[in-house]
Amino acid sequence: MKSKKIWIALVILIMMLLVPLGKVSASNDGYLQKVKDKGTLVVGTSADYPPYEFTVKQSGKTSYVGLDIEIAKKFAKDLGVKLEIKNMNFDSLLVALETHKVDAVISGMNPTPERQKSVDFSNVYYRGQQYMLINKKDAALYKNIHSFKNKTIGAQTGSLQYDLVKKQMKNNQVKGLAKLNDLVIALESGKVNAVAMEEATAKAFAQNNSSLKVINPEFNVNSSQTGSAMAFPKGATSLVKAADKTIAEIQKKNLINKQYIPLAGKYMTNNSKKNSMWNYWTYFAKGIEYTLIITVVSVFFGFILGVILALLRLSKNKLGKAVAVAYIEFVRGTPLMVQVMFVYFGVGAVIQSLPALLAGIIAVSLNSAAYVAEVIRSGIESIPTGQTEAARSLGLSQSLTYRYVVIPQALKNIWPALGNEFITLIKESSIVSIIGVGDLMYQMQLVQSATYKGVIPIFITMVIYFVMTFGLSKVLGYFEGRMKHA
Amino acid sequence: MPNMIEIKNLEKSFGDNQVLKNITEVVKKGQVICVIGPSGSGKSTFLRCLNVLEQPSAGQIIFEGQDLTNISEIELNKLRERMGMVFQSFNLFPNMNVIDNVKLAPLKVKKTMEKEAIQKAGQLLEQVGLADKAEQFPLSLSGGQQQRVAIARALAMNPEVMLFDEPTSALDPEMVGEVLKVMQDLAESGMTMIVVTHEMGFAKKVADQIWFMDEGYIQEKGTPSEFFANPKTSRAKEFLSKIL
Repeated sequence: MKSKKIWIALVILIMMLLVPLGKVSASNDGYLQKVKDKGTLVVGTSADYPPYEFTVKQSGKTSYVGLDIEIAKKFAKDLGVKLEIKNMNFDSLLVALETHKVDAVISGMNPTPERQKSVDFSNVYYRGQQYMLINKKDAALYKNIHSFKNKTIGAQTGSLQYDLVKKQMKNNQVKGLAKLNDLVIALESGKVNAVAMEEATAKAFAQNNSSLKVINPEFNVNSSQTGSAMAFPKGATSLVKAADKTIAEIQKKNLINKQYIPLAGKYMTNNSKKNSMWNYWTYFAKGIEYTLIITVVSVFFGFILGVILALLRLSKNKLGKAVAVAYIEFVRGTPLMVQVMFVYFGVGAVIQSLPALLAGIIAVSLNSAAYVAEVIRSGIESIPTGQTEAARSLGLSQSLTYRYVVIPQALKNIWPALGNEFITLIKESSIVSIIGVGDLMYQMQLVQSATYKGVIPIFITMVIYFVMTFGLSKVLGYFEGRMKHA
Repeated sequence: MPNMIEIKNLEKSFGDNQVLKNITEVVKKGQVICVIGPSGSGKSTFLRCLNVLEQPSAGQIIFEGQDLTNISEIELNKLRERMGMVFQSFNLFPNMNVIDNVKLAPLKVKKTMEKEAIQKAGQLLEQVGLADKAEQFPLSLSGGQQQRVAIARALAMNPEVMLFDEPTSALDPEMVGEVLKVMQDLAESGMTMIVVTHEMGFAKKVADQIWFMDEGYIQEKGTPSEFFANPKTSRAKEFLSKIL
């Protein structure tokens, strides 16, 4: 009976979570009008792909630059609206489009037939070749795709290059990573033998890193798969038409080759000139700020919700108990990463204005609550029944007994475990970077793309995380010591 | 003397194990009753049924006219205020000092004024001989001292009856005396008391009635002089021959 109740509660919970999905695509074409009404064009991109899109620091502020960004600017200007750039993982871009987190995606994206099934594309605005980046010392070994056998080739997950390597280099392994910077680190450290990427990007990397070299591996590419196009939600014909108009004008004036690429190149050389880490301390400071905000707010709400869940689980109310058990088991049984994405893309599909930071905090709080609830339950159960009996025999009600006898003793017992949860959250919150929240992890990736340095930002980030968690554990230890005196 | 507690056809089972089998007895106001018997005879369960720390499986406990087995949680809390209980393992609250242990229930349940509660707690600690330990924490006291604090804590609610569940069984021998002394003083002041105990000397000296329990029944009862000098049942004879 008991387990049956838990199952029913679990099913209800899942159904509640799935309801939002039904509403994802409920629109005929009012897209262009909507953008004009709100006065802002929100464009998604994965800003680690110079010269298409990348970040620079201008007078202390991070800004997005590159040829795609210039096109987006022109497009927004033609529409008479402001431009807002949302930076996220390449993998997440199409989902963001489908769930209306962004109005358009411009990210050096190839309009492949597979992608065309889920989104609509504008005309191609730029056509580059598919290249490969290799270590200079291997230049004699690798000439084209046929020189590789039983090697490991890196490519960005979800990219055209990934598919090309997989299909045309069958004797080799593909290593997919979300960020190009990580792939280049992998190349330099010999984890992969080559990285497949788009021509302009490959050339940019080689230009900024003298140990790398570009080759044209002669992939067999049909022309529909090469060029880059803007992506829009399925059925957003009004936006596609408007974009095609802008693109036609850009091509007529040859703006990409005359203006956009040279401008991007200038930014890139500037970046590599001042790529000492000291120039980027504001990035790390911003990251620390976000990481602490997310952690503190999530600890607060996670604790409150955790107490409620623990009391529900210990209560005599069978429905409440079943709901609490189902919630705890479900949340503990799914990865935080999936939960973060679900809250942002799933719940965010209903509440469209849900910002990434808020989505991240909600997901981390909800996740933490499940763990806190179990810690609190174990704390309450660690108090001998004699304590409750003594209190009840004096006439204290159940709630007074909890408040004055059980909870104070339980809190003291679970303090170390709660502190542990707090420390874990500082580290786990790094997962919110996948939906583009500017936490420390995310800032690290920005610094990597801005400086073309892979390992040093990772090391600095690691040290910062350690300083934060170690400092916190000292503070918690101090309070634990004080509680012992009581 | 009016009836304080009437026990009618009380039964208690834990699963298939029937611990109490149809007990019907009366406790009169001012009586001191010592419940004795071998381990596992159901003495403690019997006592814990009287203030419904254990819910009886059948029967009634009528305390001053109200049936405790069939009332709301709120009413039960009210009635428990009037029945003090002292446990074998003291069960003081380790997160509070001695005086806070004693005044917690008057403050939070009876809503007594702080000043009055402190004064009353001070008196009670004086009465059990621990006025100088008021600010200490329970775990820094000896077992005998802790048990005397527990008695003071129970008395702070001005109960009409006191239940003692083997109050000296967890104590070192040299500390038994100080606790029994406090209990004897209490009995002499006219408190109605039900004491589950193995202290035969105390039972002889203080009890008005001895209830001898075995196998879930009260097998025999009588005044201490009758019972100890001349037990009627073979079970009581056997029990006394083992311990005396």
